[in-house]
Amino acid sequence: MTSTGVASQTRRLGFHPGAWICWSTCAGIVAFVTTDPVYLLLLWAVAWFVYASHRSAGATAASFRIFVLAGVLALIVRVALVFLGTVNAANVAFAAREGLRLATILVVFGTFNAVTDPFAVVRLAPRRFHEPALAAALALSIAPRTVASVQTVREAQRLRGINVSPLRSLPALAVPVLERGMEDALTLAESMDARGHGGGRRTRYRPQPFTPAAATIAASAALAAGTFLSASFGGWAELHPASLARPEADPLLLVAIAVLAVPGMLKGERA
Amino acid sequence: MSAATIAPVASTRAPRLRIAALIVVNLLGAMAFLWPFALPALLDVTGNEEHRIDGPWILLILLVSLGTLLFLELGRGGLGPKAVALIGVLGAAMVALRLPGFVAGFSAMFIVVLVAGNAFGPSFGFLLGAVGTFASGLFVGGLGPWLPFQMVAIGWVGAGAGMLPRDGSWPVRIGALAAYGFVIGYAYGAVLNLWSWPFVAGSSAIGWDSAAGGIANLRHYVTFYAATSFAWDTFRAVGNAALVIVVGKPLLASLDRAARKMRLHVAEPITRQGA
Amino acid sequence: MTPPALRYDGVSFTYPDADRPALDAVDATIDDGSFALVVGPTGAGKSTFLRAANGLVPHFTGGVFSGRVHVDGRDTLASAPRKLAGVVAFVPQDPAASFVLDRVEDELAYGMENLGVDPAHMRRRVEEMLDLLDLAELRERSVRTLSGGERQRVAIAAAMAAGPRILVLDEPTSQLDPQGAEHVMAALQRLVHDHAMTVVLAEHRLERVAGWVDVAFGVDEGRVFTGDPAAVIHRLAVGPPVARLGRLVGWDPVPLTVRDARTAARAHANPVANGHASLGQTSGEVIVAANALEAKHAQRRVLRAIDLQLRQGEIVALMGRNGAGKTTLLRTLAGVHDVARGSVIVDGHAPQPGVDVALCPQESDAVLFSETVEDEVRATLAARGNAHGAVSPWLERLGIVALARQHPRDLSAGQRLLVATAAIAATGAPVLFLDEPTRGLDPDSKEHLARFLRSHTADGGVVMFATHDVELAAAVATRAVMLAGGEIIADGSPADVLGDSHVFAPQMTRVFGPGWLTPEQVAEALT
Repeated sequence: MTSTGVASQTRRLGFHPGAWICWSTCAGIVAFVTTDPVYLLLLWAVAWFVYASHRSAGATAASFRIFVLAGVLALIVRVALVFLGTVNAANVAFAAREGLRLATILVVFGTFNAVTDPFAVVRLAPRRFHEPALAAALALSIAPRTVASVQTVREAQRLRGINVSPLRSLPALAVPVLERGMEDALTLAESMDARGHGGGRRTRYRPQPFTPAAATIAASAALAAGTFLSASFGGWAELHPASLARPEADPLLLVAIAVLAVPGMLKGERA
Repeated sequence: MSAATIAPVASTRAPRLRIAALIVVNLLGAMAFLWPFALPALLDVTGNEEHRIDGPWILLILLVSLGTLLFLELGRGGLGPKAVALIGVLGAAMVALRLPGFVAGFSAMFIVVLVAGNAFGPSFGFLLGAVGTFASGLFVGGLGPWLPFQMVAIGWVGAGAGMLPRDGSWPVRIGALAAYGFVIGYAYGAVLNLWSWPFVAGSSAIGWDSAAGGIANLRHYVTFYAATSFAWDTFRAVGNAALVIVVGKPLLASLDRAARKMRLHVAEPITRQGA
Repeated sequence: MTPPALRYDGVSFTYPDADRPALDAVDATIDDGSFALVVGPTGAGKSTFLRAANGLVPHFTGGVFSGRVHVDGRDTLASAPRKLAGVVAFVPQDPAASFVLDRVEDELAYGMENLGVDPAHMRRRVEEMLDLLDLAELRERSVRTLSGGERQRVAIAAAMAAGPRILVLDEPTSQLDPQGAEHVMAALQRLVHDHAMTVVLAEHRLERVAGWVDVAFGVDEGRVFTGDPAAVIHRLAVGPPVARLGRLVGWDPVPLTVRDARTAARAHANPVANGHASLGQTSGEVIVAANALEAKHAQRRVLRAIDLQLRQGEIVALMGRNGAGKTTLLRTLAGVHDVARGSVIVDGHAPQPGVDVALCPQESDAVLFSETVEDEVRATLAARGNAHGAVSPWLERLGIVALARQHPRDLSAGQRLLVATAAIAATGAPVLFLDEPTRGLDPDSKEHLARFLRSHTADGGVVMFATHDVELAAAVATRAVMLAGGEIIADGSPADVLGDSHVFAPQMTRVFGPGWLTPEQVAEALT
């Protein structure tokens, strides 16, 4: 296999994943404590904005759309459930708002998935979890090999007259793929052993720095969540409007949600 | 031919304490799934009558108990390169199987956990289930608060498979595994649905009612389940059993051979003088 | 005086469940700073010998071990392999399967992370390794996107990053094409000559290596003897074609490189220049015809305007560098790759895979899924509707009847290829394609394969195999086709096509001129 261009294969380092985890948790909390459609829909817009500004080039970017779809589906299901009980306008509106809340949480996580790099997330693992984290990273990097293996085997079997389909001759497909995987596992284990795996204290090579930008993201998100939580416990704003009433929009809370858009306004780290 | 068992290097603490801790934590984990039935009246955070399940507090408690379970199981260390490599390769298979986007959720992913759990023991089965699910979530970009639930649930599936018969005749081994796979198809779906039930069904007629007793909630849940995932779970249950019957034996044979080739039972090398 | 890099004292080792020892009372000393070759027939114990150097044998494998191995003065029995990672680096045969992380840079650092090296020091070492093995532009790349030669260099750098002075490699060039192999060998040469490292490697393809090493260790049935490379190779009766020639005509010392052979030839003999007509042109019927064939792969045109006809009785060697389109051509002719333009006709219609045409892929293991060799062949017969057909004829043709009841995956790589070929030939297809069949193959299996190819075509079939193995092409092909950039640039008798190329000329051609292909040919002419 020959070398190909560099640009398409290098990895861009986004913000420290810890910042994103903080952001999505806080945004999730915000969505969780309210069923006011004004706040929720604004949060949708914010999530979309952050996604658009920072989506990674990898395959996970496509997940945003999937999460949005899942959210819409959840909303529909929730509303449909109303018809199992008493049906009236108030109940339907209520159900719609609860569904919207769930959908918003999903959209927030859609953004999270689209902007983070899976390997960066694994690299975060504290030393104690080094081995399972490494295993997860391995699973991610070996997966393409496994998929290629399946295609190779399927074609090879076809070329000797065995047509593998999900129900027929499945062992002819599954066994060679597994066997090859097992051989690879042996080579890998040897190599890891020979390179000192499990030999005591580990250090980290070039850990991703938690930059001021990342800190800003984390802090602003925490602020937003804190504001909402304070409203939730302190009761100084209406977070759950009554069914058919006009939803309110407390200016302070609106600002809090806008603050969650901060990541969208910061530039990403080195490409 | 006896099957190999992979277990992390034993911890130095008292084994009984360890087992007790394991039981407690697994119970906590179970609680995280079954709380809607067990907790009759939960603090109503907002005081608002229309909402009973509220506050991120419940979610927090759930996540903490599952987190503790995962923390203990995954943080044991002492896995060694062979186990890590095996989890990596088998986890890759789980990730790869997620791709075709099986209609019934990640049905095919189960076969890996079932077979590997049976071949390598409950400890390995749990680890593979948890780590493989995590990796596959990372891969398809499906991370979310549901992940700890998935990880623990599939981990339990793997652990259970490891407790089924592993030596002895093939028909017994395959039969038991197929039956287990079938039951798990439903159990997994039912249990995982439990997590989303209070939030999706909310305070509808079949939602979780903190004021009602356990039985009433159970009835509500059964209806919810029937309406939502029963069909999919049937697909999954039948699929699992069918896969085990069709490819279980050759796959298990491969794994057993691999265990031998990788010398998983590495005893201390025997040394001899002279010669 | 510096202690030896590696010392084996009376080492015997038996794998668990094995009935014979893999190593038998081995005494060997590898001096500091030497470039050592470990050579021997397949299954003789080379891998075991190498793995004893860093303790993988016996700590990783278990088993019964006696004697002692000292690496840089340290006893391998007393330290687990992970403790020796800073002392000796081990590079397995297939680097792609041994990578742990995704980015080249991270991969290099992994070993040092394990050893708890502090980050500043790690940074410096990584930079050094990148320079040492010429990997600086690749630092951010994903290891999955590298070529074979680059991967091997990354694996070496990763193993060495922790600072060991001793490097042990298991068949580093077996998966590489000639150019990739050159790069790796040059890098190893640099390490020994400029950086005072000790390098120990096992190799099959001795024509690459024989001229570069200082000392050789011959391994035969678990016993090890040492000497200078020529002597060891001679004693084991292995070696590049020039060595085979030397043995056949009784030259002493047996030449190991083309240069040595030319010197010896000048001194001893001078056969007729440009001897030998091509190995018989066949004029059988055309079975496979490709017309203005074009094929794509991932939006790129891989095959352009291919016009090719394969006749009954031909054994065609398809050659060309990696990426030239050999595999795509085989797959398109076999009917599993889409034709973008033009046509492929086999026996009057589009090729039917598994019926008219059969293809043995590069990873021949991909087809093996049964519990015994017999069952493997039977599976093909069953798929062709002939479940009760006779299995043994197919095994006989490949010379593997003795292996009938064995588990295919327990066999050596060469034997597995023969089983896969039998399984594929059992389709009864007259057209057989093989994609790089001789990668990492032992001489015995090669011989069986060659015999089978001849018998298949004698019965009216046609065979085309893609290969880098010039010597195999020279020995068995009746026709050679050279592919470059998706086009056929040469098509004719092996003597003409191979003789005309610098890169692909067999050693006999390089020594004696065009028309001379195999040592046996030359030996006959000289005596």
